[in-house]
Amino acid sequence: MHRNFFILLLVGFLAGCATNELPPTVNLPPSPQPFPVDALVTQRAVLTVRGRQFTMNGYVARSATGGLRLIMTENFGGVLADVLVKPDGRVFVLQVKPPFRKAWVERFVAADLKCVFAGATEADCPVRVLSPTHFVIKRRQYELDLRTVEVKPGVQPPEMFEEPQGGKP
Amino acid sequence: MKKLVVVFWLMFTGILLAADGDVLQPVANPQPILQNLQQEMSSLKSVYLDFTQERQLKLFSAPLRSEGVMLINEPDQIRWETTAPFQSILLASHKSVAQFEQNDGKWEKLKLGFPQMLRRVMDQMVLMNQGKLDALTGDFTITVATNHNLAVMTLVPKDENIRAILSSLEVRMPPDFSATREVVMHEPGGDLTRIVFTRERRNVVFPAATFDQTKPLEIAVVRAAVGDAP
Repeated sequence: MHRNFFILLLVGFLAGCATNELPPTVNLPPSPQPFPVDALVTQRAVLTVRGRQFTMNGYVARSATGGLRLIMTENFGGVLADVLVKPDGRVFVLQVKPPFRKAWVERFVAADLKCVFAGATEADCPVRVLSPTHFVIKRRQYELDLRTVEVKPGVQPPEMFEEPQGGKP
Repeated sequence: MKKLVVVFWLMFTGILLAADGDVLQPVANPQPILQNLQQEMSSLKSVYLDFTQERQLKLFSAPLRSEGVMLINEPDQIRWETTAPFQSILLASHKSVAQFEQNDGKWEKLKLGFPQMLRRVMDQMVLMNQGKLDALTGDFTITVATNHNLAVMTLVPKDENIRAILSSLEVRMPPDFSATREVVMHEPGGDLTRIVFTRERRNVVFPAATFDQTKPLEIAVVRAAVGDAP
């Protein structure tokens, strides 16, 4: 019941965003990469949608070969999304839970992930780097305030970056 | 969201982890134990708890850890604060809820989405802390197992939709149900979240503004006041 209510409200917010356009953002040059090539990075995020704010945690595994794996959780640990970005830019949404949708994760979450961690490969990166640990991504639909709170350098398990069987994004 | 309600209910059940050298034996009728637990909790006026939360995902070789405190005060006040690796405060009473995030050393109050939902969750947490366990039996199949050092209450959601998210909850406690120490949430895929309570102060007097939803008192000051300074 609560979950359904949450979903309905968030869907309402996002649907409203589609018709209430914000000023266009400016694409900035790719950000300097403050992260080790092999690392597990923990980020705290505040997502603002139509003036309302939601907090989330992101855990990003990064490989020297250019792979990215993001586990996104709500405040109390529940997984909202699990996304793999291959070195060639292909995106695999391995898990997604309400209120998020696969299409949103592919379109927005994966894009933001690439912007922050592989900025040079993304054409549309409306990200501002306020400090080496603080990023703000502003798109028409939302604003995402990202803070890096922990970086654990080290090689991550290679299976984290393996595409799922079937291989279709 | 029901999952959150359940998790918080269980955090208030006053339980202590003990070493479990013996094999746990199932208790045929858990009702007397639940009634005992309810009686214990009903006398609690306030509680201060430090916690460590470990999120164990099969994908990651090491657990994802966070730390914080949970404070509850009669009749309806609650503060859930994450202190590491980031700083965030959730405050609620029966009537309202607020969240603060630390931004460059300053606390920033969020314009919360769905505050009524969060308030409801936290309201239920407080009710549970006041010993109102009856709702649990409606939502869960409860079993209890014990040995000489440990009692484990296992709750399996009756709702199939909830079980798709949460397979079961384990609450670990000493045989006398004297204090909360550990809650484990098992998920269908094998991932789990473990919340370990490391320090507890019962029936403490919290300083003014501890639960203030405009400018909450810094947790260091609260800790010092309740005699729990690190």
